Order: sequence, then C-alpha cells, then structure tokens
Amino acid sequence: MNDFSVEAIGLTKYFGDFKAVDDVSLTVPTGSIYGVLGPNGAGKTTSLRMTLGIIDPDEGSSRVFGERPQAVRHRIGYLPEERGLYPGMKAREAIAFMGALRGLDWSEGRRRAAIFMTELGLERVIDEKIRKMSKGMAQMIQLIGSIVHAPDLIVLDEPFSGLDPVNQERLEMLVRRERDRGATILFSTHVMAHAERLCDRLAIIARSQRRFEGTVDDARSLLPMQVRYTPRADADPAAIAALLPAGAEPRGDSWFFPIEDADVEPLLARITGSGLGVAGLSITRPALHDAFVHIVRQVDASFDADAGTDAVEEALA
Amino acid sequence: MTPFLKNMLVIARRDFLAIVATPTFLLFLLAPLFMVGMGLAGGMGASQLADSARGAGRIVAVVGADDVEALRAADARLRASVARRVPVLEVRIASPATTDPIAIAREKGSDTYAVLSGPLASPRIVEREADSNAGHYLALLADDVLRSKAAGPLPPVAPKFEALSSGGTSIALQQSLGFGAVFIIFLLTLLLAGQTVSSLAEEKGNKVIEILAAAVPLESVFLGKLLGFLGVAVLFIAFWLVMALAGGLIAALQIDPAALASVQSASKATAALTAAPATGWPFFLGMGFVYFILSFLLLGAVFLGVGAQAATVREIQMLSLPITIFQVGMFSLSTAAASAPGSSLSTIAQIFPFSSPLAMAARAATDDSKAVHLLALGWQAIWVAFVIFLSVRLFRAGVLSGGGSWKFWRRRGRAAALAATAAAATAQAADRH
Repeated sequence: MNDFSVEAIGLTKYFGDFKAVDDVSLTVPTGSIYGVLGPNGAGKTTSLRMTLGIIDPDEGSSRVFGERPQAVRHRIGYLPEERGLYPGMKAREAIAFMGALRGLDWSEGRRRAAIFMTELGLERVIDEKIRKMSKGMAQMIQLIGSIVHAPDLIVLDEPFSGLDPVNQERLEMLVRRERDRGATILFSTHVMAHAERLCDRLAIIARSQRRFEGTVDDARSLLPMQVRYTPRADADPAAIAALLPAGAEPRGDSWFFPIEDADVEPLLARITGSGLGVAGLSITRPALHDAFVHIVRQVDASFDADAGTDAVEEALA
Repeated sequence: MTPFLKNMLVIARRDFLAIVATPTFLLFLLAPLFMVGMGLAGGMGASQLADSARGAGRIVAVVGADDVEALRAADARLRASVARRVPVLEVRIASPATTDPIAIAREKGSDTYAVLSGPLASPRIVEREADSNAGHYLALLADDVLRSKAAGPLPPVAPKFEALSSGGTSIALQQSLGFGAVFIIFLLTLLLAGQTVSSLAEEKGNKVIEILAAAVPLESVFLGKLLGFLGVAVLFIAFWLVMALAGGLIAALQIDPAALASVQSASKATAALTAAPATGWPFFLGMGFVYFILSFLLLGAVFLGVGAQAATVREIQMLSLPITIFQVGMFSLSTAAASAPGSSLSTIAQIFPFSSPLAMAARAATDDSKAVHLLALGWQAIWVAFVIFLSVRLFRAGVLSGGGSWKFWRRRGRAAALAATAAAATAQAADRH
C-alpha cells in the first residue's frame, strides 16, 4: 500500500486573471491527520476541491490512493465549506442519502445514522426534518453524512466553524476515532487550537501559495523559544538588564525575551551564577498560533511592500 | 448494477420522493381537472353562442310566385345531401318593393349570408363573403328548379345504402391518428418536461450541489434528476389513464348496451377503432409511449442543461418562454410532417433529434415498417446522452469552477478588478524606479 493517501502536486487554478491557487502541493501520509491552515481567501477550499477532483486544476495533478480522485469516490468522505442539505429531508434519511451517494446501502446507512447521532447527543432529532434544526445541528448531521460510509480518506473543509465548544470537542473526538479506525483525515481551518491538538502534519497556505509544510513542532520551531524570568523581589533592575540578552523587556515582576536553542544552558548558568535568584522561570516554544501569524505576516509584508510604494506614490501625487 | 446506474437511481429516488411527497404534488396531479372543467364550461358557452347565432342565420331567395313551390321542394331535396350545414332558406315573392337584394342583405335581426333575386335562369346573387357556400347553394337551387320545370316531375330516387364492413383503413384516418399521437405527446411533454428547467436550482440554492459533485459523476446527477422527473411524469400519466379507464368502465356499465348500439355515434367510434394504424394498435400505442419517454428525455435534458446555467429563479422564469416556443416549434414541425407522410419535410422532422420522437410516432400510424423505429430510438438515445454530456461540460466549466462563490462571473469580475489594480500598482512602482 502507498504511504501517501493524497498526492496533489503543483495545483494551480486561475479565476479569470487571478491566480487563486499557485503551485500548491499536498502530500498526506496514510493514517495521519493533516491540517491545511491559512487565512480567509488564501485558497484552501479551492485547493481541497482540486485535490478531490471536483474542479479541474489548470496545472498540476492530484492522486488519491494512487488513482484519479474520481475513480475512488466511494472511499472518500467530504464535508464542503458551504454546508448544504435538503431541508425537507429527515436527518436519518439525509445521512443515508449521503451514504448511498458513496455506495452505501440505504438500510445500512439508516442504521449507522442512528448510531452516530446517538453517540453525538442528537438522538432527539433523528427523525426531525433538517429545516427544523439549528445550523450547528445540521452541520453535525452533514458531518455524519460525510463519514457514514466509513471512508478511507476524510476531507473536512472548516469543520469547526459554526460549532459550539461542546460540539467542537465531540468533533475532535470523532476525528481521532476515525484516524484510529485507519482513516486518513485532511482538514482545513483557521482556528489554530484545533490544528495544534489534532494535526500530525500541516501545511500553511497564504496568498495562494503553500508557505509551510511540516509537523506542528516544525512550525513552532520557526520562532525562537520564549523565556519568562522572574528574579527575587529585591533584585536591581539594571543588574538584571545587564544579565539578560539585549531584547529583554520587563512586564510587572517578570522579564520576557526570546532565546535561541543553543543559548539556554549558558543563560541558566548565568542566572544561577548572578545571585539574583529565581522566583519563576519558564522556557517555552511559542504556540502554533504565533508561528502561523508570523508566517502570514511575512507573506503579507512582501505584498504590502508593493502596496506601500503605491500609497507613497499617491501621497506624492 | 454498475456504480453509475446506482448513483443515478439514488439521485432519481431522492428527486422523485421529494416531489411526490408534498401537498403541492396533489395540486399538480389534479390540475387537469381544472383544465377539463374550464374546457367544459368554455365549450358549453361557445356551443350555446354558436347555437344562438346559427338560429339567426339565413339565406334569402326572392322569386316569382309561381316558382316558390318548386324552390321549396328543391330545398327540401338538396338540403339533406349537402354536406355542409346550410342556413335556413327564406323565400320571398318578388315585388317592386322587395327586390333590392342589398337592402335585404342589410336587414337587421339576422345574419343574411346570400340573397338570390331576378330571373332563375340568370339570377343575381348577393353574398356576404365572395364565393361562399350559401351563394353556391342558392345557384344550385335555381338550377334544380329550372331542371325540374323543364323535365317535369321525376320519380324520386330510391337509393339503398350499404356500408363496407371492413374495407381497410383510410389513409386520412391513419394520418389523423398520427396527428393525434403527435398532439398527445406534445401536450404531455409541454406540461411535464418544462419542470426540469428549475430542477438544479434547488441544489444550487441549498448548496447540496457540491456534495453531489464530490460524491458522484455529474452525468449521473443530471441523468438521475431527469429520471426522477420522468418518474413523476409517468406517475401522472398512469394516474389519469387509470382515472380515464375507470370512468369509461363505469360509463359503459351505466349505459344499456342496446341503447349504445343504437346510438349513431357508436358506429363512428367503432369505425375509428377499426381504423387501425399501419403498425397495429399494440405496437402503435407501445411506440407512442416509448416516444413520449424519449421526447421527454430529450427536451428535459435540454431544459435541464439550460436551467443549470441560470443563477437565479428570475433567470429561470425568463427561460420558460423560449423553452415553450422551442417546444411549440417542434410540435408544428412534427404536425406538418404528420400531414405529409413521405415528404422531405417529414424526413427532416424524423431525423432532427428534438422533433424525431413526435414525427416518428406519427409515422407509426401511417407506415407499417417497424425496424426503422429501432433505428430512431437508438438515434434519439444517442442525442439524450450527447445533450447530457454537453450540459455537464458547460456546467463544470461555467458554474462549478467558480471557486468560493458559485457565481462565477462575479468572481471573475472581482478577479479582473484585482488584477487591474495589481497591474496599476506594478506599473506605478516601475515608474518610480
């Protein structure tokens, strides 16, 4: 069996003259949870649609399980970004319908629908029509519908948006369970907390291009570690400033500054040697959130440079 | 069953149930009742109107007193043999005061179609319309009176009528059967196939289209939808067929068979029934149904494809007029073909895919070769597939590639605007350096 469930190479899509997706590659290891992160309008949805063969890329190609995505539709489950269900259908029927589209038996689909809905605390509305449900409920129904046929690849486009914290929690549980069942999960989000907790690997897309690919830890180590150091109360601020690297800034009792990996032990030695004492000390990796913002800002800055000259130009004129 | 067919049936099942399991469907199903009701009321009104108008119509002959008897006798004799209904004859005796035929024709209170005056050998006939039947009838009367005057009274002819019990079917009757088939198929497609134009609007509106597009080939979505609508149409027809049969049966049980036999119209009905279409009744009816299905699929596929391109309900409403005109166009082409079997026009109508089902159904009434229908069905099926294929291509290229927004032109417009500003920015930056 192939090591990668999804191999999308060099996907490019133009909408008119606008390059919505520019040479984006996604390779998703089988059995992993893979996150596609990016700000709004970065091209995540279009990338996923091309990966699944819903729209044809202008350049590049996508293989799922080593074949054309259209050839393995029954092994894929997909939750689109724009949620859609027939409002007149009952929840159980809607789920069975989505399963039937992927080749599942109607009766089996109905049976599994009831099980899934009960597990997710939705047993009240099993035979309720979709139009009577809240948006979040309908979204959970659609999510169940996209995994009811036990697909080998599950693609979720912004699955967490619109869900309350309890349902977000349930969804995370569901994603992990599907992974444990052996499925590969590819999802997009712009909420870092979920990606940080769930993803084995992730790609960051900004301004139509892939800007980063790797594990969560890889992303976090793009930025230096952050040190929070609290000396004993009676320490002299000037002495502390001399002890710490130049960028350190005091906030309240504590001092904050970034540190390179190699400098950690020398710093510890300096602090213990200085006699200023340690009331508190933490050295942590920055969160994924910071890494993401860092990457996106860098990309934006390079674009803003053009816009900046533009603004100056206009001001002069 | 292949996955493609299975997918198609899943879509068709959903659409069929979604349409049938609504109260609106009942209204749709019973809609012909209103039509029949309105038709009956209108028909009765119209016939009453015609009756009252008919009573007022007349023709007038102004003749000498000695010709009056002969004229009345001639009228009594001829009236029965003239096929067309002739207005009442009013005979007046010529006198200087009443001889102006134009004044008589203009008298109020009745429609005067023609007035005869002057000597019978060279009468003056004033007609309301040139070359009218009424005028000719008056001339015929004058002729008959003169003849009987010249030859003296003749013994009346005593004909003995004998009906040909099974004398083969007349070509005219077969042609009218063909015309009837064209009309019924056209009416049913007009009523039922037009719905498909809005069928994809639902999926586009509630965004289900992306789920469908991701899960199954679009071809099977389109075909499935078409099949679902066909199911609704067949259900509709079956319902009314059963109603009609049940109604006919009840009527037949109510009426005494002896009375039925004596009614003159019954013999006409049996004549129509014995007027078998050239291919025989079972084959003709079967083919009629199959051609209805193909006509439905062909036109439905076109409407579905066109409707899939429309973005809003308003656009779909605007599309309904050209669609109806297109259908009527196919209908007139086929009726023209049905009334001239064997002409090059009918060949064109039989080959042109969208009129082919109608024209071929008409052909089954007049032409007894059966193999050609197999060919026609294959040809029409190919066109159904082709139209679906084309619609899907257009849909994928136009609507589905719209990125985040399904409204692709808006996206394109915005992209163009973005590109324009970007180009301006780079141009300005280049200026600066």
